[in-house]
Amino acid sequence: MKVVTGVIGNDIHVVANRLMDLSLNARGYEVFNLGVNTFLEEFFDAAVETGAEILLISSLNGEAEGWSREVKILKSKYKTLDRLIMMIGGNLTVGSGNARDIVPRYKNYGFDLVCHQVDLNTGLDMLEDYIKEHRQP
Amino acid sequence: MSTSNEKLLIDIGSTYFKVSTNASIEQHFRDFNKQILDDLIHKCGDTVHRFEASDIHICSSANGGLSTLIIGLTHSYSLKYASNIAFNSGINIIQSIVFQNIEDYSIPSDVIDVVIIVGGIDSNGGLFDQRLSDYIAKLDYSNVVYVGNSQDAAAIASQVERLVVLPNIIDDRLHIVEQHLKEYLTNLYQQDIEGKEDIKHLYQITGNQIYPTPYVVNKSLPLIHSSFSVTEPFILLDIGGATTDVHYSKDLVSDNIVTEQGHDRIVFKKLGVYKSRQSLIFTAENNEFAYELLMHLKVTENIYTEYSEKATRILMQLAIFLVLCKMSHYRPTYVTLNLLAINSIVFTGGITKVLEAEDIEDVVAFFYRKILNSDHKPVTVLDTNYDIWTLGAREHATCQ
Repeated sequence: MKVVTGVIGNDIHVVANRLMDLSLNARGYEVFNLGVNTFLEEFFDAAVETGAEILLISSLNGEAEGWSREVKILKSKYKTLDRLIMMIGGNLTVGSGNARDIVPRYKNYGFDLVCHQVDLNTGLDMLEDYIKEHRQP
Repeated sequence: MSTSNEKLLIDIGSTYFKVSTNASIEQHFRDFNKQILDDLIHKCGDTVHRFEASDIHICSSANGGLSTLIIGLTHSYSLKYASNIAFNSGINIIQSIVFQNIEDYSIPSDVIDVVIIVGGIDSNGGLFDQRLSDYIAKLDYSNVVYVGNSQDAAAIASQVERLVVLPNIIDDRLHIVEQHLKEYLTNLYQQDIEGKEDIKHLYQITGNQIYPTPYVVNKSLPLIHSSFSVTEPFILLDIGGATTDVHYSKDLVSDNIVTEQGHDRIVFKKLGVYKSRQSLIFTAENNEFAYELLMHLKVTENIYTEYSEKATRILMQLAIFLVLCKMSHYRPTYVTLNLLAINSIVFTGGITKVLEAEDIEDVVAFFYRKILNSDHKPVTVLDTNYDIWTLGAREHATCQ
Protein backbone atom coordinates (compact mmCIF):
# COMPACT_ATOMS: atom_id res chain seq x y z
CA MET A 1 0.00 0.00 0.00
CA LYS A 2 1.06 3.57 -0.63
CA VAL A 3 1.62 5.90 2.31
CA VAL A 4 2.23 9.64 2.19
CA THR A 5 4.01 10.82 5.30
CA GLY A 6 5.77 13.90 6.62
CA VAL A 7 5.98 16.37 9.48
CA ILE A 8 3.27 18.98 9.50
CA GLY A 9 3.66 22.74 9.77
CA ASN A 10 6.70 24.62 10.97
CA ASP A 11 8.26 21.56 12.52
CA ILE A 12 11.73 20.25 11.70
CA HIS A 13 11.82 17.01 13.67
CA VAL A 14 13.63 15.13 10.95
CA VAL A 15 14.84 12.18 13.04
CA ALA A 16 11.33 11.02 13.88
CA ASN A 17 10.39 11.49 10.26
CA ARG A 18 13.29 9.32 9.12
CA LEU A 19 12.45 6.60 11.64
CA MET A 20 8.88 6.59 10.42
CA ASP A 21 10.07 6.25 6.83
CA LEU A 22 12.33 3.30 7.72
CA SER A 23 9.68 1.53 9.76
CA LEU A 24 7.02 1.90 7.08
CA ASN A 25 9.40 0.62 4.43
CA ALA A 26 10.34 -2.34 6.63
CA ARG A 27 6.66 -3.23 6.88
CA GLY A 28 6.32 -3.27 3.08
CA TYR A 29 4.59 0.02 2.47
CA GLU A 30 5.50 2.18 -0.53
CA VAL A 31 6.46 5.41 1.21
CA PHE A 32 6.27 8.96 -0.13
CA ASN A 33 8.07 10.99 2.48
CA LEU A 34 7.42 14.73 2.14
CA GLY A 35 9.90 15.48 4.93
CA VAL A 36 9.64 18.23 7.49
CA ASN A 37 7.85 21.61 7.26
CA THR A 38 5.00 20.24 5.16
CA PHE A 39 1.73 22.08 4.73
CA LEU A 40 -1.62 20.32 4.89
CA GLU A 41 -2.44 21.03 1.24
CA GLU A 42 0.84 19.40 0.19
CA PHE A 43 -0.13 16.20 2.04
CA PHE A 44 -3.47 15.99 0.25
CA ASP A 45 -1.96 16.95 -3.09
CA ALA A 46 0.68 14.23 -2.69
CA ALA A 47 -2.06 11.68 -1.95
CA VAL A 48 -3.80 12.68 -5.20
CA GLU A 49 -0.63 12.51 -7.31
CA THR A 50 0.54 9.18 -5.89
CA GLY A 51 -2.81 7.49 -5.37
CA ALA A 52 -1.86 6.79 -1.74
CA GLU A 53 -4.36 4.96 0.45
CA ILE A 54 -2.88 6.23 3.72
CA LEU A 55 -1.86 9.68 4.94
CA LEU A 56 0.33 9.51 8.03
CA ILE A 57 1.15 12.88 9.55
CA SER A 58 3.67 13.21 12.35
CA SER A 59 4.10 16.09 14.71
CA LEU A 60 5.95 17.06 17.84
CA ASN A 61 5.41 19.80 20.40
CA GLY A 62 1.77 20.30 19.50
CA GLU A 63 2.41 21.90 16.11
CA ALA A 64 -0.36 19.77 14.60
CA GLU A 65 -3.07 21.27 16.79
CA GLY A 66 -3.54 24.45 14.78
CA TRP A 67 -3.16 22.82 11.37
CA SER A 68 -5.48 19.91 12.07
CA ARG A 69 -8.47 22.17 12.52
CA GLU A 70 -8.41 22.71 8.77
CA VAL A 71 -8.33 19.00 7.86
CA LYS A 72 -12.05 18.46 7.29
CA ILE A 73 -12.68 21.61 5.30
CA LEU A 74 -9.61 21.18 3.14
CA LYS A 75 -10.14 17.47 2.52
CA SER A 76 -13.73 18.14 1.47
CA LYS A 77 -12.42 20.15 -1.49
CA TYR A 78 -10.81 17.03 -2.97
CA LYS A 79 -13.09 14.77 -4.98
CA THR A 80 -10.93 11.64 -4.86
CA LEU A 81 -9.84 11.33 -1.23
CA ASP A 82 -12.95 9.89 0.41
CA ARG A 83 -11.32 6.53 1.11
CA LEU A 84 -7.99 7.96 2.32
CA ILE A 85 -7.03 6.60 5.75
CA MET A 86 -6.04 9.58 7.89
CA MET A 87 -3.55 8.92 10.69
CA ILE A 88 -1.63 11.25 12.96
CA GLY A 89 1.00 10.50 15.58
CA GLY A 90 3.60 12.07 17.83
CA ASN A 91 3.24 14.55 20.64
CA LEU A 92 -0.04 16.13 19.70
CA THR A 93 -0.38 18.85 22.27
CA VAL A 94 1.64 21.71 23.67
CA GLY A 95 3.13 20.65 27.03
CA SER A 96 1.53 17.65 28.65
CA GLY A 97 -1.90 16.26 27.95
CA ASN A 98 -3.66 12.97 28.14
CA ALA A 99 -4.82 10.75 25.35
CA ARG A 100 -8.39 10.58 26.65
CA ASP A 101 -8.85 14.25 25.77
CA ILE A 102 -6.59 14.44 22.77
CA VAL A 103 -7.65 11.38 20.76
CA PRO A 104 -11.35 12.30 20.47
CA ARG A 105 -10.40 15.87 19.63
CA TYR A 106 -8.23 14.81 16.69
CA LYS A 107 -10.80 12.26 15.54
CA ASN A 108 -13.23 15.15 15.47
CA TYR A 109 -10.75 17.03 13.29
CA GLY A 110 -11.07 14.23 10.72
CA PHE A 111 -8.43 11.63 11.61
CA ASP A 112 -9.26 7.92 11.64
CA LEU A 113 -6.29 6.95 13.81
CA VAL A 114 -4.70 9.13 16.48
CA CYS A 115 -1.52 8.09 18.32
CA HIS A 116 -0.60 10.57 21.03
CA GLN A 117 2.75 9.68 22.63
CA VAL A 118 2.43 6.11 21.39
CA ASP A 119 5.49 4.03 20.50
CA LEU A 120 6.09 3.98 16.72
CA ASN A 121 5.72 0.23 16.30
CA THR A 122 2.57 0.15 18.40
CA GLY A 123 1.14 2.91 16.23
CA LEU A 124 1.97 1.03 13.04
CA ASP A 125 0.38 -2.13 14.51
CA MET A 126 -2.74 -0.04 15.09
CA LEU A 127 -2.64 1.01 11.45
CA GLU A 128 -2.43 -2.60 10.27
CA ASP A 129 -5.34 -3.59 12.48
CA TYR A 130 -7.35 -0.69 11.12
CA ILE A 131 -6.59 -1.69 7.54
CA LYS A 132 -7.59 -5.31 8.24
CA GLU A 133 -10.82 -4.17 9.79
CA HIS A 134 -11.82 -1.54 7.25
CA ARG A 135 -10.25 -2.54 3.95
CA GLN A 136 -10.88 -6.29 3.81
CA PRO A 137 -13.45 -7.28 1.17
CA MET B 1 38.48 37.34 -41.18
CA SER B 2 38.29 37.60 -37.42
CA THR B 3 40.80 36.10 -35.05
CA SER B 4 40.12 32.45 -34.32
CA ASN B 5 38.39 32.88 -30.96
CA GLU B 6 36.49 36.09 -31.66
CA LYS B 7 32.70 35.85 -31.78
CA LEU B 8 30.11 38.16 -33.27
CA LEU B 9 27.07 38.43 -31.03
CA ILE B 10 23.77 39.73 -32.38
CA ASP B 11 20.54 40.40 -30.49
CA ILE B 12 17.40 41.11 -32.50
CA GLY B 13 14.85 42.99 -30.44
CA SER B 14 11.41 44.22 -31.44
CA THR B 15 12.69 47.80 -31.77
CA TYR B 16 16.49 47.72 -31.94
CA PHE B 17 19.16 45.23 -32.83
CA LYS B 18 22.56 45.07 -31.20
CA VAL B 19 25.83 43.82 -32.64
CA SER B 20 28.78 43.09 -30.38
CA THR B 21 32.40 42.24 -31.16
CA ASN B 22 35.35 42.02 -28.79
CA ALA B 23 36.12 45.66 -29.60
CA SER B 24 32.74 47.38 -29.65
CA ILE B 25 28.99 47.19 -29.34
CA GLU B 26 26.61 48.88 -31.78
CA GLN B 27 22.90 49.49 -31.45
CA HIS B 28 20.60 50.31 -34.39
CA PHE B 29 16.93 51.20 -34.62
CA ARG B 30 15.21 48.70 -36.87
CA ASP B 31 13.90 49.70 -40.26
CA PHE B 32 10.50 48.03 -40.34
CA ASN B 33 10.26 48.43 -44.11
CA LYS B 34 13.09 45.97 -44.53
CA GLN B 35 13.58 42.32 -43.64
CA ILE B 36 15.76 41.93 -40.57
CA LEU B 37 18.63 40.37 -42.48
CA ASP B 38 18.64 43.13 -45.11
CA ASP B 39 18.49 45.78 -42.40
CA LEU B 40 21.33 44.13 -40.48
CA ILE B 41 23.54 43.78 -43.55
CA HIS B 42 22.75 47.33 -44.64
CA LYS B 43 23.81 48.77 -41.28
CA CYS B 44 26.52 46.35 -40.14
CA GLY B 45 27.51 44.47 -43.30
CA ASP B 46 31.23 45.13 -42.92
CA THR B 47 31.25 43.72 -39.41
CA VAL B 48 29.10 40.69 -40.25
CA HIS B 49 31.22 39.76 -43.26
CA ARG B 50 34.39 39.68 -41.13
CA PHE B 51 33.12 36.57 -39.35
CA GLU B 52 32.65 32.93 -40.29
CA ALA B 53 29.07 31.62 -39.89
CA SER B 54 30.26 29.39 -37.04
CA ASP B 55 31.46 32.44 -35.08
CA ILE B 56 28.20 34.37 -35.34
CA HIS B 57 25.75 33.84 -32.44
CA ILE B 58 22.27 35.32 -32.64
CA CYS B 59 19.46 35.62 -30.13
CA SER B 60 16.08 37.27 -30.43
CA SER B 61 13.15 38.35 -28.33
CA ALA B 62 11.37 39.95 -31.26
CA ASN B 63 8.50 37.46 -31.19
CA GLY B 64 7.66 38.02 -27.53
CA GLY B 65 7.45 34.40 -26.45
CA LEU B 66 4.85 31.68 -26.37
CA SER B 67 1.73 31.20 -24.26
CA THR B 68 0.68 28.08 -22.41
CA LEU B 69 -2.29 26.69 -20.54
CA ILE B 70 -1.51 23.97 -18.01
CA ILE B 71 -3.96 21.30 -16.87
CA GLY B 72 -2.75 19.41 -13.82
CA LEU B 73 -3.98 17.48 -10.82
CA THR B 74 -2.72 19.57 -7.92
CA HIS B 75 -1.23 22.96 -7.18
CA SER B 76 1.64 21.59 -5.07
CA TYR B 77 3.06 19.15 -7.60
CA SER B 78 1.89 18.81 -11.20
CA LEU B 79 0.89 22.44 -11.77
CA LYS B 80 3.81 23.80 -9.79
CA TYR B 81 6.37 21.64 -11.60
CA ALA B 82 4.97 22.33 -15.07
CA SER B 83 4.75 26.08 -14.34
CA ASN B 84 8.34 26.11 -13.17
CA ILE B 85 9.56 24.36 -16.31
CA ALA B 86 7.48 26.67 -18.51
CA PHE B 87 8.94 29.79 -16.84
CA ASN B 88 12.43 28.46 -17.33
CA SER B 89 11.74 27.86 -20.99
CA GLY B 90 10.58 31.45 -21.48
CA ILE B 91 6.88 30.54 -21.83
CA ASN B 92 4.06 32.76 -20.54
CA ILE B 93 1.39 30.95 -18.55
CA ILE B 94 -2.08 32.26 -19.26
CA GLN B 95 -4.00 29.81 -17.09
CA SER B 96 -3.49 26.89 -14.71
CA ILE B 97 -6.36 24.44 -14.34
CA VAL B 98 -6.92 21.88 -11.57
CA PHE B 99 -8.38 18.91 -13.43
CA GLN B 100 -10.96 17.87 -10.83
CA ASN B 101 -12.70 21.25 -11.29
CA ILE B 102 -12.08 21.60 -15.03
CA GLU B 103 -15.75 22.24 -15.79
CA ASP B 104 -15.65 25.41 -13.68
CA TYR B 105 -12.98 27.11 -15.81
CA SER B 106 -13.75 29.44 -18.68
CA ILE B 107 -12.31 28.85 -22.14
CA PRO B 108 -9.56 31.37 -23.01
CA SER B 109 -10.39 33.32 -26.14
CA ASP B 110 -6.77 33.74 -27.30
CA VAL B 111 -4.92 31.15 -29.33
CA ILE B 112 -2.76 29.11 -26.96
CA ASP B 113 0.63 28.14 -28.32
CA VAL B 114 0.95 25.02 -26.21
CA VAL B 115 -1.36 23.14 -23.83
CA ILE B 116 0.45 21.11 -21.16
CA ILE B 117 -1.31 18.17 -19.48
CA VAL B 118 0.32 16.72 -16.37
CA GLY B 119 -0.51 14.68 -13.30
CA GLY B 120 0.28 11.61 -11.26
CA ILE B 121 3.31 9.42 -10.78
CA ASP B 122 3.77 6.52 -13.18
CA SER B 123 2.41 3.92 -10.75
CA ASN B 124 -0.87 5.84 -10.48
CA GLY B 125 -3.29 5.80 -13.39
CA GLY B 126 -6.87 6.42 -14.43
CA LEU B 127 -6.60 10.03 -13.29
CA PHE B 128 -8.11 11.76 -16.31
CA ASP B 129 -11.46 11.17 -17.98
CA GLN B 130 -13.67 12.39 -20.80
CA ARG B 131 -13.89 15.89 -19.28
CA LEU B 132 -10.27 16.48 -20.32
CA SER B 133 -10.80 15.88 -24.04
CA ASP B 134 -14.12 17.77 -23.91
CA TYR B 135 -12.34 20.82 -22.51
CA ILE B 136 -9.40 20.60 -24.91
CA ALA B 137 -11.77 20.28 -27.87
CA LYS B 138 -13.09 23.77 -27.03
CA LEU B 139 -9.61 25.35 -26.94
CA ASP B 140 -7.90 27.09 -29.82
CA TYR B 141 -4.33 25.80 -29.57
CA SER B 142 -1.31 25.07 -31.73
CA ASN B 143 0.42 22.31 -29.75
CA VAL B 144 -0.54 19.94 -26.96
CA VAL B 145 1.85 17.91 -24.85
CA TYR B 146 1.26 15.24 -22.20
CA VAL B 147 3.85 14.89 -19.43
CA GLY B 148 1.84 13.05 -16.80
CA ASN B 149 1.70 9.44 -15.59
CA SER B 150 2.56 6.83 -18.20
CA GLN B 151 -0.56 4.73 -17.62
CA ASP B 152 -2.96 7.39 -18.93
CA ALA B 153 -0.87 8.41 -21.94
CA ALA B 154 -2.39 6.01 -24.48
CA ALA B 155 -5.99 6.79 -23.52
CA ILE B 156 -5.42 10.54 -23.76
CA ALA B 157 -3.53 10.20 -27.04
CA SER B 158 -6.52 8.38 -28.53
CA GLN B 159 -8.82 11.26 -27.58
CA VAL B 160 -6.67 14.33 -28.21
CA GLU B 161 -5.43 14.95 -31.72
CA ARG B 162 -1.76 15.73 -32.34
CA LEU B 163 -0.87 14.94 -28.73
CA VAL B 164 2.86 14.79 -28.07
CA VAL B 165 3.67 12.36 -25.25
CA LEU B 166 6.84 12.93 -23.25
CA PRO B 167 8.20 11.26 -20.09
CA ASN B 168 6.54 12.19 -16.81
CA ILE B 169 7.85 15.37 -15.15
CA ILE B 170 7.09 13.83 -11.73
CA ASP B 171 9.29 10.93 -10.73
CA ASP B 172 8.42 8.09 -8.37
CA ARG B 173 9.63 10.10 -5.37
CA LEU B 174 7.42 13.07 -6.32
CA HIS B 175 10.46 15.04 -7.48
CA ILE B 176 10.57 17.21 -10.58
CA VAL B 177 12.14 15.95 -13.84
CA GLU B 178 12.74 18.98 -16.02
CA GLN B 179 14.77 17.77 -18.96
CA HIS B 180 12.25 16.48 -21.54
CA LEU B 181 9.54 19.13 -21.21
CA LYS B 182 12.11 21.90 -21.00
CA GLU B 183 13.77 20.70 -24.18
CA TYR B 184 10.39 20.44 -25.94
CA LEU B 185 9.30 23.95 -24.90
CA THR B 186 12.66 25.49 -25.71
CA ASN B 187 12.48 23.91 -29.18
CA LEU B 188 8.96 25.25 -29.67
CA TYR B 189 10.19 28.68 -28.65
CA GLN B 190 13.00 28.42 -31.16
CA GLN B 191 10.68 27.24 -33.93
CA ASP B 192 8.47 30.20 -33.12
CA ILE B 193 11.42 32.56 -33.40
CA GLU B 194 12.47 31.00 -36.68
CA GLY B 195 8.99 31.18 -38.14
CA LYS B 196 8.33 34.79 -37.23
CA GLU B 197 9.69 38.21 -37.95
CA ASP B 198 11.86 36.96 -40.79
CA ILE B 199 14.23 35.57 -38.21
CA LYS B 200 14.70 32.45 -40.29
CA HIS B 201 16.59 34.48 -42.90
CA LEU B 202 19.29 35.06 -40.31
CA TYR B 203 20.30 31.42 -40.67
CA GLN B 204 21.98 32.54 -43.90
CA ILE B 205 24.70 34.21 -41.85
CA THR B 206 24.97 31.96 -38.79
CA GLY B 207 25.83 28.32 -38.39
CA ASN B 208 24.53 28.30 -34.81
CA GLN B 209 21.06 27.93 -33.40
CA ILE B 210 19.16 31.16 -32.69
CA TYR B 211 18.14 31.32 -29.04
CA PRO B 212 15.57 33.42 -27.17
CA THR B 213 17.19 36.50 -25.61
CA PRO B 214 15.86 35.84 -22.08
CA TYR B 215 17.49 32.41 -22.19
CA VAL B 216 20.83 33.95 -23.11
CA VAL B 217 20.59 36.78 -20.58
CA ASN B 218 19.78 34.25 -17.87
CA LYS B 219 23.15 32.61 -18.53
CA SER B 220 24.91 35.78 -17.42
CA LEU B 221 23.41 35.88 -13.95
CA PRO B 222 25.86 33.59 -12.19
CA LEU B 223 28.66 35.69 -13.74
CA ILE B 224 27.16 39.10 -13.07
CA HIS B 225 29.47 39.79 -10.12
CA SER B 226 32.45 39.87 -12.48
CA SER B 227 31.12 43.04 -14.12
CA PHE B 228 28.77 44.68 -11.64
CA SER B 229 28.65 45.38 -7.95
CA VAL B 230 25.49 43.42 -7.21
CA THR B 231 24.47 41.98 -3.85
CA GLU B 232 22.36 38.82 -3.70
CA PRO B 233 19.48 38.37 -3.70
CA PHE B 234 18.71 40.55 -6.71
CA ILE B 235 16.30 40.91 -9.60
CA LEU B 236 17.18 41.93 -13.12
CA LEU B 237 14.62 43.80 -15.21
CA ASP B 238 15.09 43.82 -18.96
CA ILE B 239 12.50 46.31 -20.19
CA GLY B 240 12.36 46.58 -23.94
CA GLY B 241 10.07 47.63 -26.78
CA ALA B 242 7.75 44.60 -26.79
CA THR B 243 8.43 42.54 -23.69
CA THR B 244 9.75 42.80 -20.18
CA ASP B 245 11.85 39.97 -18.81
CA VAL B 246 12.35 39.51 -15.10
CA HIS B 247 15.25 37.43 -13.88
CA TYR B 248 15.45 36.72 -10.17
CA SER B 249 17.38 34.81 -7.54
CA LYS B 250 15.59 31.59 -6.58
CA ASP B 251 15.99 32.61 -2.92
CA LEU B 252 13.22 35.17 -3.46
CA VAL B 253 10.58 32.49 -4.06
CA SER B 254 9.42 29.98 -1.48
CA ASP B 255 8.30 27.23 -3.84
CA ASN B 256 10.27 24.35 -2.32
CA ILE B 257 11.44 23.15 -5.72
CA VAL B 258 15.04 22.08 -5.91
CA THR B 259 16.44 22.80 -9.37
CA GLU B 260 19.95 23.09 -10.68
CA GLN B 261 19.99 26.76 -11.47
CA GLY B 262 20.02 29.60 -8.96
CA HIS B 263 18.10 32.06 -11.13
CA ASP B 264 14.73 31.85 -12.82
CA ARG B 265 13.02 34.15 -15.26
CA ILE B 266 9.60 35.31 -16.37
CA VAL B 267 8.74 36.98 -19.64
CA PHE B 268 5.87 39.45 -19.67
CA LYS B 269 4.86 39.24 -23.28
CA LYS B 270 2.90 42.45 -23.65
CA LEU B 271 4.74 44.91 -21.46
CA GLY B 272 6.98 47.21 -23.43
CA VAL B 273 7.13 50.85 -24.42
CA TYR B 274 7.18 50.61 -28.20
CA LYS B 275 5.56 47.59 -29.84
CA SER B 276 3.51 46.78 -26.71
CA ARG B 277 2.79 50.41 -25.87
CA GLN B 278 -1.02 50.05 -26.01
CA SER B 279 -0.97 46.96 -23.82
CA LEU B 280 1.25 48.78 -21.31
CA ILE B 281 -1.16 51.72 -21.21
CA PHE B 282 -4.12 49.35 -20.78
CA THR B 283 -2.36 47.70 -17.81
CA ALA B 284 -1.61 51.11 -16.32
CA GLU B 285 -5.22 52.24 -16.68
CA ASN B 286 -6.30 49.19 -14.70
CA ASN B 287 -3.90 49.85 -11.85
CA GLU B 288 -5.31 52.25 -9.29
CA PHE B 289 -1.87 53.36 -8.18
CA ALA B 290 -0.70 54.24 -11.68
CA TYR B 291 -2.71 57.47 -11.55
CA GLU B 292 -0.96 58.40 -8.30
CA LEU B 293 2.37 57.62 -9.91
CA LEU B 294 1.56 59.94 -12.81
CA MET B 295 0.70 62.67 -10.31
CA HIS B 296 3.94 61.97 -8.49
CA LEU B 297 5.77 62.35 -11.81
CA LYS B 298 3.87 65.59 -12.39
CA VAL B 299 2.03 64.53 -15.55
CA THR B 300 -1.58 63.64 -16.36
CA GLU B 301 -3.14 60.71 -18.20
CA ASN B 302 -2.87 62.76 -21.40
CA ILE B 303 0.70 61.51 -21.51
CA TYR B 304 -0.69 58.19 -22.83
CA THR B 305 -1.62 59.84 -26.11
CA GLU B 306 1.60 61.81 -26.51
CA TYR B 307 4.47 60.64 -28.67
CA SER B 308 7.47 62.49 -27.31
CA GLU B 309 10.72 61.83 -25.53
CA LYS B 310 9.05 62.77 -22.29
CA ALA B 311 6.14 60.35 -22.92
CA THR B 312 8.59 57.51 -23.57
CA ARG B 313 10.38 58.33 -20.29
CA ILE B 314 7.11 58.27 -18.34
CA LEU B 315 6.03 55.00 -19.97
CA MET B 316 9.39 53.49 -19.03
CA GLN B 317 8.83 54.55 -15.42
CA LEU B 318 5.31 53.12 -15.53
CA ALA B 319 6.68 49.86 -16.90
CA ILE B 320 9.05 49.57 -13.91
CA PHE B 321 6.20 50.17 -11.49
CA LEU B 322 3.81 47.75 -13.22
CA VAL B 323 6.30 44.94 -13.45
CA LEU B 324 7.18 45.28 -9.77
CA CYS B 325 3.43 45.15 -9.01
CA LYS B 326 3.13 41.97 -11.07
CA MET B 327 5.93 40.36 -9.07
CA SER B 328 4.49 41.38 -5.69
CA HIS B 329 1.58 40.13 -3.61
CA TYR B 330 -0.43 43.13 -4.85
CA ARG B 331 -0.97 41.72 -8.34
CA PRO B 332 0.16 38.12 -8.12
CA THR B 333 0.73 36.48 -11.50
CA TYR B 334 2.86 33.38 -11.82
CA VAL B 335 5.22 33.90 -8.95
CA THR B 336 5.34 36.27 -6.03
CA LEU B 337 8.78 37.46 -5.07
CA ASN B 338 9.84 38.50 -1.62
CA LEU B 339 10.68 42.01 -2.81
CA LEU B 340 11.49 43.21 0.69
CA ALA B 341 14.45 40.84 0.72
CA ILE B 342 16.16 42.07 -2.43
CA ASN B 343 19.36 44.01 -2.08
CA SER B 344 19.86 45.07 -5.71
CA ILE B 345 17.72 45.77 -8.76
CA VAL B 346 19.63 45.58 -12.01
CA PHE B 347 18.20 47.27 -15.11
CA THR B 348 19.16 46.43 -18.63
CA GLY B 349 17.65 46.81 -22.10
CA GLY B 350 16.34 49.91 -23.84
CA ILE B 351 15.30 51.46 -20.55
CA THR B 352 18.88 52.25 -19.58
CA LYS B 353 19.26 54.40 -22.69
CA VAL B 354 16.29 56.55 -21.73
CA LEU B 355 16.17 56.85 -17.94
CA GLU B 356 18.73 58.19 -15.49
CA ALA B 357 19.44 56.34 -12.25
CA GLU B 358 17.48 58.91 -10.23
CA ASP B 359 14.38 58.50 -12.46
CA ILE B 360 14.43 54.78 -11.74
CA GLU B 361 15.16 55.13 -8.02
CA ASP B 362 12.25 57.53 -7.73
CA VAL B 363 9.79 54.96 -9.14
CA VAL B 364 11.25 52.08 -7.14
CA ALA B 365 10.91 54.13 -3.92
CA PHE B 366 7.31 55.01 -4.90
CA PHE B 367 6.53 51.30 -5.39
CA TYR B 368 7.95 50.27 -2.03
CA ARG B 369 6.16 53.08 -0.23
CA LYS B 370 2.76 52.63 -1.87
CA ILE B 371 2.52 48.90 -2.41
CA LEU B 372 4.74 47.40 0.28
CA ASN B 373 4.46 50.22 2.86
CA SER B 374 8.17 50.16 3.31
CA ASP B 375 11.17 52.46 3.10
CA HIS B 376 13.26 49.57 1.81
CA LYS B 377 15.68 50.83 -0.80
CA PRO B 378 17.49 48.24 -2.88
CA VAL B 379 20.55 49.48 -4.74
CA THR B 380 19.83 50.34 -8.37
CA VAL B 381 22.39 49.09 -10.87
CA LEU B 382 22.23 50.22 -14.50
CA ASP B 383 23.70 48.19 -17.31
CA THR B 384 23.94 51.03 -19.80
CA ASN B 385 26.11 49.25 -22.36
CA TYR B 386 24.34 45.87 -22.62
CA ASP B 387 27.24 44.23 -20.78
CA ILE B 388 24.87 41.68 -19.22
CA TRP B 389 23.61 40.46 -22.58
CA THR B 390 27.20 40.38 -23.89
CA LEU B 391 28.29 38.40 -20.84
CA GLY B 392 25.48 35.87 -21.27
CA ALA B 393 25.91 35.65 -25.03
CA ARG B 394 29.67 35.07 -24.74
CA GLU B 395 29.13 32.41 -22.08
CA HIS B 396 26.47 30.77 -24.21
CA ALA B 397 28.60 30.97 -27.36
CA THR B 398 31.51 29.37 -25.51
CA CYS B 399 29.25 26.54 -24.31
CA GLN B 400 27.95 25.99 -27.84
